[in-house]
Amino acid sequence: MNKKVVTGVVGNDIHVVANRLIDISLQARGFEVFNLGVNTYLEEFIDAVVETDADVLLISSLNGEAEGWCRELQFLRAEYELKDVIFMIGGNLSVGEAANIEEIVPKYKSYGFDLVFHQVDLNIGLDTLEEFIGHKS
Amino acid sequence: MSKLLIDVGSTYFKISSDEGVKQKFRDFNKTIFDDLSVSFGDTITKYDKQDVHICSSANGGLSTLIVGLTNSFSLKYAKNIAFNSGINIIDTILYHHIDESAVPGDLLDVVIVVGGIDSIGGLYDEKLFDYLEKLNYSNVVYVGSKKDADYLKENIDNLTILDNIITDKLKVHEEGLKEYLTNLYQQDIVGKEDIKELYRLTSNQIYSTPYIVNQSLPLIDARFEVINPFIVVDIGGATTDIHYSRDLARDNMVTSSEYDRLVFKKLGVYKSKESLIFAAKNNEFVYELLNYLNVTENILEEQSEKATRILMQLSIFLVLCKVSTHNPLYITLDLHILKSIVLTGGITKVLAYEEVEAIVQFFYKKILNTTATPSILLDSNYDIWTLGMNALDDKRKQNVN
Ligand code: B12
Repeated sequence: MNKKVVTGVVGNDIHVVANRLIDISLQARGFEVFNLGVNTYLEEFIDAVVETDADVLLISSLNGEAEGWCRELQFLRAEYELKDVIFMIGGNLSVGEAANIEEIVPKYKSYGFDLVFHQVDLNIGLDTLEEFIGHKS
Repeated sequence: MSKLLIDVGSTYFKISSDEGVKQKFRDFNKTIFDDLSVSFGDTITKYDKQDVHICSSANGGLSTLIVGLTNSFSLKYAKNIAFNSGINIIDTILYHHIDESAVPGDLLDVVIVVGGIDSIGGLYDEKLFDYLEKLNYSNVVYVGSKKDADYLKENIDNLTILDNIITDKLKVHEEGLKEYLTNLYQQDIVGKEDIKELYRLTSNQIYSTPYIVNQSLPLIDARFEVINPFIVVDIGGATTDIHYSRDLARDNMVTSSEYDRLVFKKLGVYKSKESLIFAAKNNEFVYELLNYLNVTENILEEQSEKATRILMQLSIFLVLCKVSTHNPLYITLDLHILKSIVLTGGITKVLAYEEVEAIVQFFYKKILNTTATPSILLDSNYDIWTLGMNALDDKRKQNVN
């Protein structure tokens, strides 16, 4: 069975190009993709994971909104007992030139993400995801 | 040969013939057939059964409770389909909170259970059966993941299983459930003994009134001074209906129909007057509105023509409020982009244009904070209904030829 990934761009963010690339790249790598597109709220992501029993939630954020939305992840994650789902986020995870780049990853990990990629190329991110899945199983 | 069109409402009849449109309050001491015969017998006997077309909304619709897996998908999709089929939603239950959820005492016409794409299973357990056990319902239908269908069938008596409304791509698939609910609604209306008796007057099928109005919607902006997107508000004796262009719905759902419908079961001005007043008293703007209309709240307790007019004005306001603000049980419409409001039903015989305009202006100013208002059209001759009845009859004739 192919691994299932729910993806989309969080919040009121409408940057669509990366989202299309992510969809195509994931399919090329053999994932079954549920693409919620741009402008997706955190609750919709979680709900999509529940309805599809997805293995991975891959959130992308480009315009700097991510932080405001993702703080709630841990609560939603606990509510639905989504223990086995891999939570992943990437894109531009801070606003402008963040003063402390090195704080970004730990911060998002504390929100409940397993894999965090701030301004990292997509393919590197997806390679890391596949490795991570390999280690888990 | 011309046609005779008859609409049987919960509080009044209307008939349209060569002589124009006439309406009359129903006499509840008589059966519908007798009441019609006494009031309009002379007209009716002039027509052949095949030229008589009847529709009815005399029962105020069906009610449902929906149990779903998530708010954003199963419940949202099922709610949307139920509304479009003219069903009133009593409550929605998130499956994973089902053991703490309230059990409504109402008799429910249908319970809908939904969740998951077809390839996943094992979503439900005893919790669902225990909850259903406590409910009082006539029908139960499952429209979720195929994988769980057999398990639910074994555990729920008389369960109807239809296509999953959630596709493998997590989009909505309306047809199966929509058809089922529309048929249930149709059966409920025409299955009543009172209505069955009307087949003595017509050899054509009797339809539900909202279905007729729906038939005319795609024709409205061509025939009237109406600009898309528009809403049609039908304030009746027992319920108030809103038919709206899908462009107004902020749910980015892709559906096959251009127009949808919402029913507000308890916002009628006669039969559900009490609950209308109750809803009004619970709306924070209503006192200001009454003041703006130069009346006090005492008017709500009065029995006068003036009081009826005020109630009608209030129901317009309340319905607009219900669809404009975020209300988990209703669909939110983007009234900022609305171009026209069309009012139909008994209300147009009572309220003057200025009285409707005053309400619309108040609503846009107070709730939407803008002075720009949509154009208002009063369908006082029941043109929409005649259009819908005729459109349906034309379709039928085309199918025969
Ligand atoms: C095109 C564009 C727009 C277009 C978008 C059109 C559209 N519908 O897509 C328009 C003009 C509408 C727009 C608007 C805005 N934009 Co703009 N936009 C851009 C721009 C120039 C290119 C984005 C793009 O498509 N790149 C191509 C794709 C392929 O690359 P990418 O998006 O970076 O994605 C790559 C990686 O980030 C990564 N990735 C993405 N997601 C994920 C997820 C994972 C898990 C992983 C591993 C990797 C990954 O993979 C992709 C491929 O490598 C960027 C600047 C830039 N050069 O990047 C700004 C930029 C993204 N925009 C920005 C801003 C601020 C805005 C606005 C707020 C501007 C404004 N004040 O109105 C609005 C916001 C609108 C909204 N509601 O979202 C900022 C964001 C700054 C920040 N985060 O601090 C940027 C970075 C410009 C800047 N340097 O200031 N924008």
